Amino acid sequence: MIRFEKVVKKYNYQDKAAVDNLDLHINKGEICMLVGPSGCGKTTTMKMINKLIKATTGKIYINEMDIEKVDPIKLRLDIGYVIQDTGLFPHMTIAENIATVPMEKGWDRNKIRHRVDELLELMELDPEIYRDKKPKDLSGGQRQRVGVARALAADPPIMLMDEPFGALDPITRGKLQDEFLRLQEKIGKTIVFVTHDMDEAIKMGDKIAVMRDGKLVQFGTPNEILSNPADEFVSELIGGNGSLKIMNLIKCKDIMRSIPNIDVDNSVDEAMKLLLKLGVRNILVTDKGQGLLGYVNYDSLANHKATLKELLKPIGETVTPKTTLQDTLSKMFSLGRKTVFVSGSRGRVDGIITMDDLLKAVSDNDQSSDIIA
Amino acid sequence: MLEFAISRWQTILKMTIDHFTIVVIAMIISIIAGVAVGVLITYKKSWANVILNVANILMTIPSLALFSILIPIMGIGRAPAIAGLVLYTQLPIVRNVYTGIVNIDPSIIEAANGMGLSKAKIMYKIKLPLAFPVIMAGIRTAAVMGIGIGAIAAYIGAGGLGEYIFQGINRGNDRMILIGAIMVSVITIIIDRGLGMVQRRFEI
Ligand SMILES: Nc1ncnc2c1ncn2[C@@H]1O[C@H](COP(=O)(O)OP(=O)(O)O)[C@@H](O)[C@H]1O
Ligand SMILES: [Mg+2]
Repeated sequence: MIRFEKVVKKYNYQDKAAVDNLDLHINKGEICMLVGPSGCGKTTTMKMINKLIKATTGKIYINEMDIEKVDPIKLRLDIGYVIQDTGLFPHMTIAENIATVPMEKGWDRNKIRHRVDELLELMELDPEIYRDKKPKDLSGGQRQRVGVARALAADPPIMLMDEPFGALDPITRGKLQDEFLRLQEKIGKTIVFVTHDMDEAIKMGDKIAVMRDGKLVQFGTPNEILSNPADEFVSELIGGNGSLKIMNLIKCKDIMRSIPNIDVDNSVDEAMKLLLKLGVRNILVTDKGQGLLGYVNYDSLANHKATLKELLKPIGETVTPKTTLQDTLSKMFSLGRKTVFVSGSRGRVDGIITMDDLLKAVSDNDQSSDIIA
Repeated sequence: MLEFAISRWQTILKMTIDHFTIVVIAMIISIIAGVAVGVLITYKKSWANVILNVANILMTIPSLALFSILIPIMGIGRAPAIAGLVLYTQLPIVRNVYTGIVNIDPSIIEAANGMGLSKAKIMYKIKLPLAFPVIMAGIRTAAVMGIGIGAIAAYIGAGGLGEYIFQGINRGNDRMILIGAIMVSVITIIIDRGLGMVQRRFEI
C-alpha cells in the first residue's frame, strides 16, 4: 500500500540525513508503528507520505503510484492526518472541524451532517451535546477523539498519526488506545502511527519499524521484535522484561486447548476411558436438557467410585478468548487455581488454559531469555 | 457655551461630517492596503522586517511635516489629506495583521496543511479569522490615530473639525476650540466603541 524505496531526507545540503536510505513496505489494512527515540526521523518519515516534506532522493509509492506525480492537495485530502496537539481549529465548532475535508470535497450539506453525527457517535461523543461546542470546551481526551474523527471524516484509506495520544495522561491514553484498536477492527485503515513509546508500539502495532538516527533498525511484528530484538539498541527500547510484554500480546484464543465433553449419564469409567484416549486431564460434563453442568478432572475420577453427577465441579470464573495471557495469569493467581476455562459467551466453554500452557507460550517466544538471564 | 454650540449647530455638524468622512475614506483604503501588505509579508519573511521598519519610520515623521511633503506632489485639499492619513495609519494595521497571523499556534496550520487545504483557503478560513481580534485591535488604534491626525490635515485644506479649531485659534475664540476638540473626542469614542463591539463579537 505504502512503499518507501531508498528514501533520503536531508534538511540542509551538508547535514547528515534525517532519514537515511529508508526501505519500508506498509501493507494495506495494517497499523505500522514508527518507533524510536526523539529526533530519529519518525515525523520526517511520516510527513514525506503526504508531501508535507519532500524527499531529497528516493521514491515513495502509494498503491504503486509514485506520489511525486500526485498533486499534494489531492493527495492529502485522501490521507487522514492526526497530530499530538490536535490542531483543531479553535474558531470553528466541533461539527465544522470534522466537516473540513468533506466540505473541501464538495459533499452536500445533508451528507456532511449525517457523517459528522455518525463520527461523533463512533467516538462516543453525544452529537446533541458536542456538535456545536468549540474545541476549548472539551477535555484533552475528547479533543483528541475529535482530531481522529476529523481525520476519518471523508473515509480516507490511509491515516497518518503523529504521537496522537502522547499528550494525554496514562489512563486516558490507555482508554483511547483501546477504543482506537476496536475502531480499527471495524474500519481496517492503513495506518502509519508515530510514537516514541515502545509499549504503545507493541500494543497498537501490526508491524513495528524501529528507527535510530534516520535508519531502519528492525521491522517486524511486535512478537518478532520482542522475541528477537535485532541488537542491543532494540533490546534497550523494549526494556528488561520482554517475556512479560509478550504475555500482553498473546490472547487466550491463541494458545487455549480444546476440551472434550461427555454426557452426565455416562459412567465414571467411560469418562476415564475418554480422558486417557484423548490424553487430557479435564472434561466438560453436559446434559441434553440443561447444557453445560460443570467439569470433572482426572484426579477426582481416579479416587472415586461414584456417578459423574456427584463428582461434578462448577466451571467457576472464566476468561474470554480475547483476554491477554497476562490478565489470565493474574486471574489464576487471584482464584488460586492452575487452570482456567475460556468462555466466549455465557453457558459455553471454548477451551482451557493451564499454568504450564502460559509458561510454554512465553518461553517458546523468548529466544533471548538465555542472554538476559 | 451650549447656546453658542446650538446657534452654530449647522456649521459644527457639517465640519464633523466632513471630518468623519475623510477619516472613514482614509481608513477604508488603509485597511485594504494594510491587510494586503500584512498578509503578503507573512509569506515573504525576508520582506517583513523591511516593510515593518518603513511603516515604523513613516509614523515617526511629524504629521505636519508629512502633510507638507505631500503638498508638492498632490497639492492641497482632501486628496493629500487622505493620502497622508493612509500612510500614517499603515503601521498598526500591517503590524497587527502580521503578528496576528505569525503567532497562530503552528499546530493549527500544520493540521490544515496536512488535511489538504490550499494556501488561499488556509488564509481566509483559518489564519484571518484567528488573527481577527489582533487585526481589529490594530484597526482601532489606526482609527483613533486617524481621527486625531485628521484634525491637523486642516492645515492643507482638508476641512473638518481641524479647520474649526484653527479658526478658533486665529480668532482667539476659546469656545470654537473647545467645541472642535469635544467633537473630535466624540467621534473618537464612537468609532472606538463601534470597532470594539465588532471585535468582541468575533472573539473566539
Ligand atoms: N524543519 C527542519 N529543519 C531542519 N532540521 C529538521 C527539521 N525537522 C526535523 N529536523 C531534524 O531532523 C531530525 C529528525 O527529526 P524528526 O523527524 O522530527 O524526528 P522524530 O519525529 O523522530 O522526533 C532531527 O535531527 C531534527 O532535528
Ligand atoms: Mg516527531
